[in-house]
Amino acid sequence: MAAYTLETNGAVCPFPLIDAKTAMEQLSTGDDLIIGFDCTQATDSLPQWAAEAGHEVVAFDRVGDAGWTITVRKAA
Amino acid sequence: MILTGLLLGAVLGYVLQRSRFCVTGAFRDVYMARSTRYLVPFLLAIAIQAIGVAALTGLGVISPDPASFAPLAVIGGGLLFGIGIIMAGGCATGTYYRAGEGLLGSWVALIFYALFAAVMKYGPLGSFTDAARARTVGDATIQETLGVSVWVPTVLFAGIVAGLVVWQVRRNAGRKQAALPARRTGIGHYLADIPWSPWVGGVLLGLIAIAAWVLSTAAGRNGGLGITTPSAKIVTFLTTGDVTLVDWSVMLVLGILLGSFIAAKLSGEFRWRVPDAATMLRSAGGGVAMGVGAALAGGCTIGNSLVETSLFSYQGWVSLIAIMLGTWGAAWFFLVRPQKIAAANRPAAVLTPAA
Repeated sequence: MAAYTLETNGAVCPFPLIDAKTAMEQLSTGDDLIIGFDCTQATDSLPQWAAEAGHEVVAFDRVGDAGWTITVRKAA
Repeated sequence: MILTGLLLGAVLGYVLQRSRFCVTGAFRDVYMARSTRYLVPFLLAIAIQAIGVAALTGLGVISPDPASFAPLAVIGGGLLFGIGIIMAGGCATGTYYRAGEGLLGSWVALIFYALFAAVMKYGPLGSFTDAARARTVGDATIQETLGVSVWVPTVLFAGIVAGLVVWQVRRNAGRKQAALPARRTGIGHYLADIPWSPWVGGVLLGLIAIAAWVLSTAAGRNGGLGITTPSAKIVTFLTTGDVTLVDWSVMLVLGILLGSFIAAKLSGEFRWRVPDAATMLRSAGGGVAMGVGAALAGGCTIGNSLVETSLFSYQGWVSLIAIMLGTWGAAWFFLVRPQKIAAANRPAAVLTPAA
């Protein structure tokens, strides 16, 4: 299974979520999307979207001050 | 005692930052995500405040004065404000607390919002604003039209909101959302580590709004939470030196910046963040639309959508709907439409027949 990165640093909400959704459409089931972001509200909206869409969150952590990374595995 | 404004503002900024409470997102996502995740908690804040305000008014502690209804100014201003907050990426309070988190795009929006609110209220367009807001019709509040006590709409609305809260809690029961690893233990874990749920944000916002009525009245200003007028007052004070403009509400908005900065700093969520030029320009345009819109409508998502609504004034409810429609239109134009264009321009997938 492949893994892809999406850097959204500097983009304010809701753009990280919009970009993540668009990117996810291009992935196959089981692929990982690693999203880097620095919009605080996305710490809620990205895992919320993953939970609603049924994608598995493989990793979710901070990267320094006001920076985050989340890895979402595409569901079937 | 105008310093209580600074303290309450700091508490408000802290709560908004920790609960990621964004009224723009609450309105926008009803359309974009078909989600009421933040809208129902926001309505809960209105209901809590309405009960508190009706009770305190009955006890003679406060005497709210609902705004007269100027339909054209309220609808036009509300729509414009709704468009502005999508462009700026946050409503008035949202812009203040994001500025406190170090987002330079929000500082740009904030400066243009405050400047144009001042232009419309105390500057060259002041007489235009006054003329537009003077075209009032009929009653100011729903209870006046119906000839009933304020408790009638208060209890009815609180009942509807209670139903919505139960519906939303049930619908989300069992859904688990991924969380960040803990960095603090004990009380610090709750205060400056885990994000607060939208419910906690909504309840605290309602209680802060009640406290604002009491503290502001005690400081000689008859009103609740307000963002636009104090923002305009800061600009006017800074450019004229008129100290009489510095009142409780000015302290309140400065407190939001301070409280959000403290919350972000303690949680490791503060950093100066620089957007690209397009975002910066759009934030500036959004700030202008917010300042003009809020001045015409007589308030922003706080002054109108949270405070005037709790008094059941027409200005409050009509502007809430106008702002929401404005966010939907702008979300389509700035967020949904570009995606559709991009999707239409994407080359079709090349399918190679299997051997």
